[in-house]
Amino acid sequence: MNDENFSPKDSLLLIQSMIDKTRQVMSDNGIYYLVWGWVTFIACTGQFILKHIYEYPKHYYVWWLVVPAFIFSIVYGAREGKKQKVKTYVGDSIKFLWIGMGIAYFVLSMILSELGWDRPIFPFFIMLYGLGTFVSGSIIKFRPLVLGSLCAFILAVASTYASYDYQMLYGAVAILVSYIIPAYILRARQKHV
Amino acid sequence: MFKDLDPILHSQLRLAVVSILISVKEAEFTFLREKTNSTAGNLSVQIQKLKDAGYIDIVKQFKNNYPQTICRITQLGTIAFEEYVISLQDYLGNGNGHENGVA
Repeated sequence: MNDENFSPKDSLLLIQSMIDKTRQVMSDNGIYYLVWGWVTFIACTGQFILKHIYEYPKHYYVWWLVVPAFIFSIVYGAREGKKQKVKTYVGDSIKFLWIGMGIAYFVLSMILSELGWDRPIFPFFIMLYGLGTFVSGSIIKFRPLVLGSLCAFILAVASTYASYDYQMLYGAVAILVSYIIPAYILRARQKHV
Repeated sequence: MFKDLDPILHSQLRLAVVSILISVKEAEFTFLREKTNSTAGNLSVQIQKLKDAGYIDIVKQFKNNYPQTICRITQLGTIAFEEYVISLQDYLGNGNGHENGVA
């Protein structure tokens, strides 16, 4: 880089180009949304099938599927963390948001296990899906995530009018619109960047 | 009357480094080198000048047995950058431009 003939206009262009280069690093690859989206989608629909169609009493066992997703998140997160050359406030905010969300899901599951698994608690889970994707989508300014979260909020309210079994399907739809579809759009856009 | 542009920031490589650090929490030396497309030697000299001015903090540590240099902007650096941008806007907003170098 040469400092000769470095005009104020060049300065502004340089600042802009450096900020743009950094912004590319901040973008999310959507892998967590995909993994957690598909795992929870399969768990919701699986629980519906086991309970409603096969009338299997321990239908909630299907939620053990989250254990491999949890292990994957820790291993993948640690590996990516080692490779990470830059830390952004956006990245940290999203990381802590989802760690907090994970704890909230766990706490809600603990409450549920005490109250009984037949309690209609799915609207609260759906509301939490909406909250997480609303904050993430707003931080990274990614409209499909924000729109997905608004759909999840609507589905959370709508699901209260459904029976317990059908609330699981509302949960599956909420995951599809607020996690899975935005994650695929995010990945498709990144391939074109 | 225009404000003088801060000579510490009105240098391509130093400005590039500060522009990156202003938008992140911290960045490794290698990240700065890649993004600014500079040589390690030149970058070392320039980040040291920024450190001497109190605009950035440099932390040297080991990560997986390899030396690692982490840079982050200070509060003074953030203020200096904001003032620098305001000065630039003064130049450009008044249609003067000073196209052929100011430093």
